Amino acid sequence: MSPTTLEVKQLKKTFQEDLILNDLSFQLNKGEILSVVGPSGSGKTTLLRVLAGLESPTNGSLWMNGKDITATKANRRDISLVFQQPLLFPHMTVKENIAYGAKVSKKYSKPKIERLMEAIGMSRYRDHFPSEISGGQQQRTALARAMATEPEVILFDEPFSSLDPALRQDLRYWVRDFLVEQKTTALFVTHDMEEAMIMGDQIAVFQDGEFQQIGDASVLHHSPANQKVASFMGGHLILNENEFVPLAEIHLSTLEGVETRTFKGRLEHLTYQHGRPVAHISVPALASRVALPVGKFTADTEEVTLHIPTSCIQRFEVNHHE
Amino acid sequence: MNQRPRLFLVITLLFFLLPVLILAAQSFSAPWRFPSGSGLDWELGSYEQLLQSPMLWKATFTSIWIGFIVLMLNVVIGVFTGKALTTVPLKGRPWVEALLLSPILIPVLAIAMGLHIFMIRAGLADTVLGVIIIHLVPTVPYSIKIFHNSYQQIGRAMLEQPHILGSGFFRQLFTIELPLLKPALRSVTFLTIVISLSQYAITAIIGGGRVLTLPLVFFPFLESADASVMSAFSLWFAVIPVVMYTLVEAVILLLPYSRLPWRNKR
Repeated sequence: MSPTTLEVKQLKKTFQEDLILNDLSFQLNKGEILSVVGPSGSGKTTLLRVLAGLESPTNGSLWMNGKDITATKANRRDISLVFQQPLLFPHMTVKENIAYGAKVSKKYSKPKIERLMEAIGMSRYRDHFPSEISGGQQQRTALARAMATEPEVILFDEPFSSLDPALRQDLRYWVRDFLVEQKTTALFVTHDMEEAMIMGDQIAVFQDGEFQQIGDASVLHHSPANQKVASFMGGHLILNENEFVPLAEIHLSTLEGVETRTFKGRLEHLTYQHGRPVAHISVPALASRVALPVGKFTADTEEVTLHIPTSCIQRFEVNHHE
Repeated sequence: MNQRPRLFLVITLLFFLLPVLILAAQSFSAPWRFPSGSGLDWELGSYEQLLQSPMLWKATFTSIWIGFIVLMLNVVIGVFTGKALTTVPLKGRPWVEALLLSPILIPVLAIAMGLHIFMIRAGLADTVLGVIIIHLVPTVPYSIKIFHNSYQQIGRAMLEQPHILGSGFFRQLFTIELPLLKPALRSVTFLTIVISLSQYAITAIIGGGRVLTLPLVFFPFLESADASVMSAFSLWFAVIPVVMYTLVEAVILLLPYSRLPWRNKR
């Protein structure tokens, strides 16, 4: 087991009446990448700002390599934060931007800056100003600038959300490989589950100020801890607060010789994702809408019936105490 | 569409350059009246008369000195207040902003007369320091506004980024903030110097005639009604902000990460 780099103990943050972080505790081991995923406005950014030192916690403590850093100012913490926007300094060239943090934190060496520029493929743009390079190049430069300070932990606040989808795809893998190669401990915040699965060794589902569940993609999918995790994963139909069923087990035709539970639904749309038809069905009885991948779909009416084998219905509590 | 730049050029020449040229020509010639029929009689009499004035040099240096200190104070107050207004969470921010701008709404003369009594009690009346303080009244609100706007344009996130990278307060100020505030610095320089330089009434009240600035020397000249001398004086007056502006521009070039035109790498 690798040593713990960052430890968060019972972190609490309130803004006036609003509870943003509720007794949050977790730890990051050296070289580990944790994805934090949650709906917009759930306080993910606040979590990063507290970790980085831009906001002080209402309660709780932060420990870095065994030292209490709760009261340490942002510029004295060995933590770097890559924002949603690249925020390159417009009056500096690419090279000066990357060197800036390194110089400030007295970790500047010429070969290192050269190596970083090489790694992000920006060597030939070293003397360009931020306004003269593309959005993807800017975000890569921002990452190199954060890396140049050799932080113990690097935090990402949805760094790809302002990029177009194709570029986002490329950059995800690039950043992931880069972090693994440099053995950097990282915390990656996003609202996109797919991105969270690609970026993190572990995924933490963050909602209502706490981690609802931490685990890898298959654990979160196969045994979601509660309704919130299940609905965020989107791979299940939630029947009530205790029961759910994987989408793959739902059938639109009657099943012979199997005990089933049925629900009336109405087909609203048919879309295609990853080359497969997806039926968007509203289920009035559950007051929910489900996007069901279907094999061959030949519906002549809008009225459909969902057939769910009783044996496939799972309960949240069982998984919760695993 | 092509006529636009030409039209712009003509208007600029007509309304900006031509008056200055006429002023310059008049300062180097005997008073000329339209339509006397005769041409300009070139002479240097007006400058001789100007330079003979015993108070001219002293008043010039006093004005520059006061202007310089007022500018420095404006930059310091403006930068820090502007930054605070942008970054510090504050309830009732619009009210604070309005309060900071309010000195502009009240006639400076009224403020000066009110402050005069205070200045006498505090021993600041008839002193350069007193004049500097009263010159802050019509300048500081503008400076705060200008720097505040600039800081807002830079944005909170951009101000947090260097901090995250490990920069301390002053390092961040000199390497990131001031370079990005260059346009604001230029505006504040020009505005402050020009406003400070042209204050007659409040300088006379607080300075009590002992602190002699250019306008105080300038106004007695008006009585001579000699257009040539007036022109020479006006040009003398106008050169000061231009020189100060040039000096400030040179200082700005010393800021970190400035691109010196002759040292452009690419």
